Amino acid sequence: MLGINHRTAGVELRERLALAGTALDAAVDGFSRQYPGVELIILSTCNRTEFYLARPSHHPPDIQQLIAFVSEHCGTDRALMTSAVIHRENHEAAAHLFRVATGLDSMVLGEPQVLGQIKRAYEQAAARQVVGPVLHRLFQQAIASAKQVRRETGIDKGRVSVGSVAVDFAKRIFESFQDKTVLAIGAGDMAKLALRHLQALSPEKLWLVNRTPQRACNLAGLLGIEPGRGGARAWEDLDELLVEADIVLTSTAAPHPVITAERLKPLSRRRRNRPLFVIDLAVPRDVEPAVGTLTNVYLYNIDDLQQVVAQTHEDRRSQVQAADALLLDAARSCMSEVQNQDVGRLIRALRHRLHEMGQAESQRTLRRLATAHPAGADPKIQALLNEHTDRLINKILHLPMSQLDRRDADAPLAFYAAALRRLFALEEDVNHQEHQEHWEHEDSKIRRKAKTANGI
Amino acid sequence: MLNLTTLSLILLTVLTLATTALAWRRLLASRPVSDSLDRVIVTLTALCGLGSLTLFLYRWLIVNGEWRPLTAHVDGLLLIAALLTGLLLFLRYRSQVPGIAAFGLPILTLILAWAICASAWTFHPFRIGSVWLSLHLASIYVGTALLAVAAFSGGMYLFAERRLRRKQPATPTPRLGSLEAIERVIIRTSAAGFGLLTVGLVAGFVIYATDKNLTAMPGWWYAPKITLAVIVWCIYALVTNVRHTTLFRGRRAAWLSILGLLLLLAVWILSISFLAKTRVSQNAETAATTRLAAQASSLSGGKPQAFAEAAPCAS
Repeated sequence: MLGINHRTAGVELRERLALAGTALDAAVDGFSRQYPGVELIILSTCNRTEFYLARPSHHPPDIQQLIAFVSEHCGTDRALMTSAVIHRENHEAAAHLFRVATGLDSMVLGEPQVLGQIKRAYEQAAARQVVGPVLHRLFQQAIASAKQVRRETGIDKGRVSVGSVAVDFAKRIFESFQDKTVLAIGAGDMAKLALRHLQALSPEKLWLVNRTPQRACNLAGLLGIEPGRGGARAWEDLDELLVEADIVLTSTAAPHPVITAERLKPLSRRRRNRPLFVIDLAVPRDVEPAVGTLTNVYLYNIDDLQQVVAQTHEDRRSQVQAADALLLDAARSCMSEVQNQDVGRLIRALRHRLHEMGQAESQRTLRRLATAHPAGADPKIQALLNEHTDRLINKILHLPMSQLDRRDADAPLAFYAAALRRLFALEEDVNHQEHQEHWEHEDSKIRRKAKTANGI
Repeated sequence: MLNLTTLSLILLTVLTLATTALAWRRLLASRPVSDSLDRVIVTLTALCGLGSLTLFLYRWLIVNGEWRPLTAHVDGLLLIAALLTGLLLFLRYRSQVPGIAAFGLPILTLILAWAICASAWTFHPFRIGSVWLSLHLASIYVGTALLAVAAFSGGMYLFAERRLRRKQPATPTPRLGSLEAIERVIIRTSAAGFGLLTVGLVAGFVIYATDKNLTAMPGWWYAPKITLAVIVWCIYALVTNVRHTTLFRGRRAAWLSILGLLLLLAVWILSISFLAKTRVSQNAETAATTRLAAQASSLSGGKPQAFAEAAPCAS
C-alpha cells in the first residue's frame, strides 16, 4: 500500500492526488499497461488517496517506481510526494486497510462513510478487472471485519462528525435557524450527512443545487424536504441562492472552485452584509480561500472541521484500543489465509509442472524401451513407470511441502513463495491458474445473482 | 481617613475584580469548566450589583436624605454600576450571551474605581437647580450604562469573531454566545442608550440656552464638550441604524460601539473639568455641602466620619 492521507499531506497535495471519474479510470488503465498482472485498487476520498497493490515479492513496481508513476500521472512534484507518502507491506498493509475501513484512521473517528467508499473503490476496480484473488480476499475481509468491529466495540457511537462540528460552528454565528436559509451545492454522501445535521436545526428553507438536477431532486426526496421549505433548484439560480442563503454547504466534484471571492463580493451588498457561513466539504475545494477574508463571511473547509473533530479522539482511546486489537487479529488471519492460498496455488503449480516434466520423461523412456525391447511396449510396464515417476515426484515434494506447513517467524510464507516462484519460474503458471480460479469464482457469483434475480 | 462610602466602594471594587478574574478564567479555559464556576460568577456578579444598589440607596436615603437620588457624581456612578450589573445578569439569561460577564465586569470594576476617586478625592455635589438638569443627569447616567453594555458587547463580538476566524473549536458549554445574539445586544442597548443620550443632549442644550452665564462665553456652542457630544450622538445614530445601514454590520458595529463609548468618556471627562472650571455658584455649592454634611453628621451621631461622608475632599 502506498498513499497519502490527512495526517501526512495538506489539503493542497490531497487535491492534486485526488482521483475520481475519468482521472481514476485513466490511472488504472495506465497502471495496467505499465504493470500487467499486478492487482490494483485505488482508494481516493477527501482524506486519502491510497494505492493497494498485490504482486509477488521482488516483482515490479517497487515503492520508487510507484511514487514515480503517481507523481507523473497526477502532475505532482516527486520530492513533495516522497515527503508525504506512506507505504506499508504485507501484514502492515492489511492492518492499515482494516483500520481505514473501520474508520480508525479517519479524522472523524469511527465514521462510516469510508466503508462505503472502500466498497465502491473495490467494485470499480473489480469492474475494470484489475482485482485478483489477493485483493479480492483482503477487501472482502476488511469490509466484513470493519462491520463486526463497529458492532462489537461501538466505535461509531457518540462520534463527533464533520456535520455536527459544522452545526457547532453555525450555532456560534447564528442564534436561531428558523429564519435562516441553507444552500447545499453538490449532492454527494458527505453533503447528505452534513445536511441531515443542518436539517435538524429546522431552517426556514433548504435549497439543493447540483449540475445534474436529477441528483439534487433525489437528495431532496431522500431528505424529505417539505414543499415550501426548499427543494432542488437549477444550477443557473446559484447566484440568486447565494444572496438568499445564510449557510452554504458545498461538496461538488468540480476540479475548480465554484464560489470565488470575485463571484461573492458583488453579492454581499445584495445580501445586506448578513453573515454567511460557508462549509466546504469538497476536495478539491469548491470555495476559493479568499472568500474567507470577505467581511461577515466565515469559511471552513474539510480540514478545519476535521481538526476539531480530531480533538475528540483523545477521549475515545479505550474504544480505539479494543478495536485495534480485534482488527490486528483479523488482518493477521486474513493475510495468513491470503498467503496460504498463494502458497497452495504455487504448490499446485509446482506439482503440476513436475508431473508434466515427469510425464514427458516417462514417455521418452517408454519410447526408448519400446525400441530397445519388445516388453517395453507392455502397458503394465508403462503403468509401473508412470507410478514410479509420480511416487518419486511426491516423495521429493513431501519434505519441502511439510516444511511450508510449519509457522516459521524467521522465514515467513512470503519468503518461501518468492523462492518457489523464482527457483521454478512459476509466475506464468500461477497467474494463469489465479485468473482462471478468480474468473470461475466471478462467473459463479454472476450466475447465482442471475438465478436470484430470476427467482430460481 | 476613609468614610463608609469609600470603604464599601473599595470592597466592591475588589470583589468585582475577583469576579472578573474568575469570568476570564472560565472564558479562556481550554478544558470544559464545571457549572459550579458559572454559578459562582453569577452569584458574585449579583453581589456586586446588590452592593452597588445598597450603597446607592444608603447614600440617597440616609446620607443625602433628599428626594433627588443623584446628589453627587459618586451617586451617578453607583447608579450606573447597579444598572450595569442588572443588565449583565439580564443579558446573561435572557439573550443567551453567557460570556458577557467577562467583558462587562472589567467596565464595572473601572466604574467602581472611578467612584472611589469621586467619593474620596474629587467629591463635588451637583448644583441641581432645575428639572432640565435632573433630566439631563439621569438620562446621561442611565444612557451611559446602556452604551457601556453596547461597548463591551462590541468587545465580546470582536473576541468571538476572532475565535471563529481562527477556527477554534466550540466548548462543550457555550461561553460567549452567537455573533447574531451579541450583535442584537449591541443594537438594542445602543438604541436604548441613544434614546436617553438624545434626551440628555436636548436637556443639555436647553440648560445652555436658558443659562445666560453659560451662553455669555464666546463660542460656547462649539466647545469641545458639545462638539464631542454631538459626534457621539452621530456615532450612535449610525450604530442604531445598523439594521438598515448594511455597511456597518458585524465588526464595524462592534468597533463603532467601542469608539462611541470612548468618545462618551471623553465628554464625561470634559464635563467634569468644565464643571470644575465654571463653578458658577460657589456659595450655593458650599451651602449645599455644608447642609449635606450636617445631615450626615446628625444621622451618624455627630461623629467625624459622617462629615467626611458628605464633605468635599477636593475641589
